[in-house]
Amino acid sequence: MSNKNMFMKSAFVRAPLQNGVGRYVCQLQRIVLKFCKSHGGSRGIRDFIEQDLVDFAKQNASVVVYLKPRRHRGPVLVAEYLNGDRVWMNVQNKTHSEITKWMEVLRTQQGDISGARLRKYQYTDYPSVQGPWTPFTFKDPELNVATLPDPKFGANNRLSISATEKLRLMFEKQAISEKDVKTGE
Amino acid sequence: MAFVRRFTPLLAKTFLNIPINTQGRRIHRWVSPTLIELKYREKKQGGKVINPRNTFLEWNLEAELYAFGKRLNEEFDSDLLLQAFTDRSYVIKEEMKQKEMEFDLKMKDNRELVKEGEKFMEEYIQLYLEAVLPKFPVEGIVGIKNHLMSESVLANISLHLGTKDIILAAEYPVERQILANTFKALVGALLQSSGDEQSGHFVRDFVITQLQGQDVNDYWHIEDPWTMLTDLMSKTGSELEPRLIGEVGKNTLLACYRVGLYLDKKMLSSGFGETVATAKEMAAREALKKIFATEENMYPINFKLNGIPKSTSDLRYKISAN
Repeated sequence: MSNKNMFMKSAFVRAPLQNGVGRYVCQLQRIVLKFCKSHGGSRGIRDFIEQDLVDFAKQNASVVVYLKPRRHRGPVLVAEYLNGDRVWMNVQNKTHSEITKWMEVLRTQQGDISGARLRKYQYTDYPSVQGPWTPFTFKDPELNVATLPDPKFGANNRLSISATEKLRLMFEKQAISEKDVKTGE
Repeated sequence: MAFVRRFTPLLAKTFLNIPINTQGRRIHRWVSPTLIELKYREKKQGGKVINPRNTFLEWNLEAELYAFGKRLNEEFDSDLLLQAFTDRSYVIKEEMKQKEMEFDLKMKDNRELVKEGEKFMEEYIQLYLEAVLPKFPVEGIVGIKNHLMSESVLANISLHLGTKDIILAAEYPVERQILANTFKALVGALLQSSGDEQSGHFVRDFVITQLQGQDVNDYWHIEDPWTMLTDLMSKTGSELEPRLIGEVGKNTLLACYRVGLYLDKKMLSSGFGETVATAKEMAAREALKKIFATEENMYPINFKLNGIPKSTSDLRYKISAN
């Protein structure tokens, strides 16, 4: 995480309002296209408005589209989302196809995604279906009937195997396999 | 060249003392004074200035209302929808204004729709929960219903459906109570425009789905689980027996006991706790969860039941009846 990200709003991976469990609701509620009618920097957005905007509004009836012509000021897209987020995007000198793609991004995202820092890449309201761990959770059932002290349960098997022991085991294994070969003859 | 070779170690030594600017996780020194200054200017201005969205130049209430219906995929009657968004406080404010200007325009507020919507929601949620949690007692169902009908839950739903800016109220930002009431009024408006089955599906898709990923046992507090369990078992005539089946760290701060409940010598449930009494209580709670079919690993609640479910509350187990 760089220093810049410390000022970003932190977030978890969440669907707003259990979206999609019941029915899907498009999270973009309104979009404002601000542009200049004569300036060259607004060329791409003017092309978009002339050619694609009506289709966009027809296909996404749930999004309110506003146009705001402003004389000699840079073209801007302002998207507002149901969770209250507002995304401001400068589209100065952007071409028609670029703007089409950015509109698609704004339409399909669920809020100010790029302005949030994810704390984790997973999230759950329900951390465990097993319940919390207790000393009895993974206990061997054999212990219930054993009489202690018992060398079987008292043995110290927590240390890792030593090199000598490993060699001995390897040697024994080899000896057995050799014997097997002889009996085969 | 010889000069350079001779003095290289010296040069290196002097460079060592100069701090190299490395990027670290620290908050810059300009941040605090900047924030203080911003806060000061805000205070001097007389608090944060809030511009309600519906006072902007780019605002069209008719378009917003149309998009609202389309967003939820519902057919609202447009007059009813506007009425559902009109809060009482707005009507009062408008009437005062009209008195000053000496003319009279009748406006309808959403109080009746709120009442209607609330009544329908109460009934529908009750029936739906009874259908999806068939073994849960009536008291538990009422607990879940009260949670779903609470102001905070409804206000959150209402906010995430985009009512915040459309609501006609005297003051902005709108209060949570107005948000919750607007949601109820929306249900009332839908009830009048599309009928009860459609509005039932609306409530199911937006209110009941809030139980997704939640533990339903949280919404019903059982005061004395052991008495409740023994009352339940006394009817069946089977014998209930708690046994201490494990103890660890006795007489220490980290003591842990485990109690198993046996029904006719077969294990029903087990619970653990720092004393035997709490372990027994936990075991009783586990047993109740098993009986009510609301264990932690229960099958997820069905959010896709169509139509209005039939009432089963007469056949259902009631704690208070005992």
